[in-house]
Amino acid sequence: MQKSITSFFKKKSDDTDSPSPPKKIPKIDRKAELPDEPTIKAENGSPEVKPKAERMSVSPEEKTKNAPKSVKEETVATTDRKVTTIGLNSTAKDSKVDVENYDPSTDSYHPLKHAYWQDKKVTPYLALARTFQVIEETKGRLKMIDTLSNFFCSVMLVSPSDLVPSVYLSINQLAPAYEGLELGVAETTLMKAICKATGRNLAHIKSQTHLIGDLGIVAEQSRVSQRMMFQPAPLNVRDVFKKLRDIAKISGQSKMDLVYNMFVACRSSEARFFIRSLIGKLRIGIAEQSLLTALAIALVKKNHIDDCKASKVPDVYKDEIAETTLLLKTAYSQCPNYDIIIPAILEYDIKELQERCPMHPGMPLRPMLAQPTKGVHEVFERFGGMHITCEWKYDGERAQIHRNEKGEISIFSRNSENNTAKYPDLIARSKGFLKGEVESYIIDSEIVAWDVERKQILPFQVLSTRKRKNVDIEEIKVQVCVYIFDLLYINGKALVTKNLSERRKLLLEHFQEVEGEWKFATALDTNDIDEVQQFLEESVKGNCEGLMVKTLDEEATYEIAKRSRNWLKLKKDYISNVGDSLDLVVIGGYKGKGRRTGTYGGFLLACYDTENEEYQTICKIGTGFTDEDLQVHSEFLGKHVVSSAKSYYRYDPSLEPDHWFEPVQVWEIKCADLSLSPIHRAAIGIVDGERGISLRFPRFIRIRDDKNSENATDANQVAHMYQSQDQVKNNQKTSTQMEMEDEFY
Amino acid sequence: MFEARLGQATILKKILDAIKDLLNEATFDCSDSGIQLQAMDNSHVSLVSLTLRSDGFDKFRCDRNLSMGMNLGSMAKILKCANNEDNVTMKAQDNADTVTIMFESANQEKVSDYEMKLMNLDQEHLGIPETDFSCVVRMPAMEFARICRDLAQFSESVVICCTKEGVKFSASGDVGTANIKLAQTGSVDKEEEAVIIEMQEPVTLTFACRYLNAFTKATPLSTQVQLSMCADVPLVVEYAIKDLGHIRYYLAPKIEDNET
Repeated sequence: MQKSITSFFKKKSDDTDSPSPPKKIPKIDRKAELPDEPTIKAENGSPEVKPKAERMSVSPEEKTKNAPKSVKEETVATTDRKVTTIGLNSTAKDSKVDVENYDPSTDSYHPLKHAYWQDKKVTPYLALARTFQVIEETKGRLKMIDTLSNFFCSVMLVSPSDLVPSVYLSINQLAPAYEGLELGVAETTLMKAICKATGRNLAHIKSQTHLIGDLGIVAEQSRVSQRMMFQPAPLNVRDVFKKLRDIAKISGQSKMDLVYNMFVACRSSEARFFIRSLIGKLRIGIAEQSLLTALAIALVKKNHIDDCKASKVPDVYKDEIAETTLLLKTAYSQCPNYDIIIPAILEYDIKELQERCPMHPGMPLRPMLAQPTKGVHEVFERFGGMHITCEWKYDGERAQIHRNEKGEISIFSRNSENNTAKYPDLIARSKGFLKGEVESYIIDSEIVAWDVERKQILPFQVLSTRKRKNVDIEEIKVQVCVYIFDLLYINGKALVTKNLSERRKLLLEHFQEVEGEWKFATALDTNDIDEVQQFLEESVKGNCEGLMVKTLDEEATYEIAKRSRNWLKLKKDYISNVGDSLDLVVIGGYKGKGRRTGTYGGFLLACYDTENEEYQTICKIGTGFTDEDLQVHSEFLGKHVVSSAKSYYRYDPSLEPDHWFEPVQVWEIKCADLSLSPIHRAAIGIVDGERGISLRFPRFIRIRDDKNSENATDANQVAHMYQSQDQVKNNQKTSTQMEMEDEFY
Repeated sequence: MFEARLGQATILKKILDAIKDLLNEATFDCSDSGIQLQAMDNSHVSLVSLTLRSDGFDKFRCDRNLSMGMNLGSMAKILKCANNEDNVTMKAQDNADTVTIMFESANQEKVSDYEMKLMNLDQEHLGIPETDFSCVVRMPAMEFARICRDLAQFSESVVICCTKEGVKFSASGDVGTANIKLAQTGSVDKEEEAVIIEMQEPVTLTFACRYLNAFTKATPLSTQVQLSMCADVPLVVEYAIKDLGHIRYYLAPKIEDNET
């Protein structure tokens, strides 16, 4: 006899699809994350163990009553979604286990066998969400990258066309950075969608979000705690990506509806990461460099899928990984577009990558950055015996100006943002400085504000008052002049592998100066220390920040990933104790006492470790603020309080502040010197295994609105500043050459 | 050819009011046994099932089975144009892409008809199995609506706990907690005011207030409401429509977590 208890809701259409539906074990899916199982089910009698919390104890008396009683009622239960995809019977069981336990971080992970979506060839979003979840719980950077590479490897092997969306979703981008396509969904909109989908109240969600500090988690909890009548079809990576792009492009009510419809289909941790993607913060600590490394490792794993276990690959094929990573990073720095790179790595040999992904005008390449020095002496120490050139370091905005064969001009910022719309005046007069036949070019330059009457450079603050968008050429008040200092591409030829002296020669051949509009950066080729010193003083008089020092012939190419010899910058304030000020992130606040009651009295500052992608404490600070400053900081930071330290903050418990902040603001800080500290964690492991570096007598200088927290001073730079102190140098004779990648001004 | 005629437009109005908050659009499945509608709300948390038997209509004719996808908002607009006492007739040709709704005043002096475009909705049809419920509670519909409305002020979810003694609705939130207990009525004088509990096993389940309050929009249709519950199974809230059929709402329970 068919017991009513074992029945459950099912799609009527299923009956026709599957002539004899196998007996399924109905059960309510507590986590709503089994894509292939009945989600809701009927009553007792099922072999499933009922969650105890949900049942009240049943007295024997009641039990006996139970049997004869028959209030025949229909009940609801749901069934499997697509009969055609995953089988309902035994395979359903297997896949269920795989889905729930999908874990690309295990040592035994096999990119093929454990890719449970093999037969479908469509990467489920849940697999990606699971990967993110595991990565979020992982501490070590290498392990995180390895986990991601396992997932990527599976995608490459099983569903390669999903690799592009998977990669974009992993770094939470919708398109190459320079296209500037951003989601921009307000948190309240998301909250409303969550309310609608789970029957909750907006006020409750708001207060819970405030408490937990992450709408993603709130969304997941809300999702998981409300069962559904019928689970919509599982999401897959490419649809999610496509929908996110749609969401970014539309506005108004329909945006909210799209979010809502997607959210309804989210299960378990999908809800968390979907919402985080929409907010714009994935919080898994994977950024561009880690991602490229993970891709490289995945490629190597793919090549050696039969040779050995995936977990062994990183050890056995170390060299191949290093080589692949370099090739990939090189290609990415000249062609920062995954839409081009990823199909290329899937189709061609990695060694051909550079030819397959050439640079071309209209697509920004990563700019060469400079590292700070303390003085002329240090420059000569570092560049000893090489031919060098010094250029004035203009105080303006870095600009990469592109012109393609069709004559279209685009202008990109230091961070590869498209600034073309900001400078219609430059585009209007862009013909003037060409000399001879120039069809296409990429130049590297600095745009500075220009006083037309007095013919002189104006400070950066003037430039920053220019409108950013919808600039009307008639209404421009701040005139600009472009100082060109490098040429990276001319008439279809990339010049990045040429030396600076050659590039400069070509620059002078093809371009000419136009007074007040286009100028070449004032330069001096000299190896005389006194001349450099004098040139520096001249540059300061010429309203410049200082000098940029570059090698002319040796290691003088423009290849970022290959680590061409870095440029150095010499700044006018190098005379102070520490060569440069530090730009540090405020991550915590201590409540003020006495006169400072009601505001924060001190703050906890951190530098950013780009390798580990974490913030490491470097000092507490309480001086250099006026009362007004404190008021302003307290108000601003008060809006960014989070309930607990971020997982990517490294600090000693003894430093626990009263309030933790989101890493939202960067301050310029000066200090007397740097010393090793048992409690601070800056650059820990670089200079000393146990101790970090801290600042002595830090003073607040100003807020660096132009930098975001990830552009703060890097741990390597801190280590380098520490080591280049005379005192330290005398102690340890063999100072290691620190390699620094990031700029620091 | 499909044709269905009801003596009073007011019933159809009330039915529309009872479902249009949950559903934006739905398919009316017509056969010679009557009209069926079954649809989940957008969030897939609740399900509405409406049955109108052919014998409840003044006139009912359905030559071939017909599925009519309708925008319920538009349908409600059309019904607003009817007087409560009007006769109402729904008509459609086989394979038509429109439905005609006609109102006739009681004295036959005014006849208005409205033609509405149909939609092609590919909604999932769910088979609803029969279940032995642990608890079935019958109570006055007004009372249930009142309880849901009151408790929603305290929390976003309501706990319904049914035991031998009676049924208890409770909610707790920032303000505090609210408990409403109903005992089984001793002697039944007026059937519509009775609270009747049939229980085999005690049940405690948690539901989102938002949906319960949406269900109570059906209160004008019926004096009594029937709640059927069983652990881990959706709640069924049924309103009988006198002589015509019933409307049932299914609601997936919430998973109680310890924090709330």
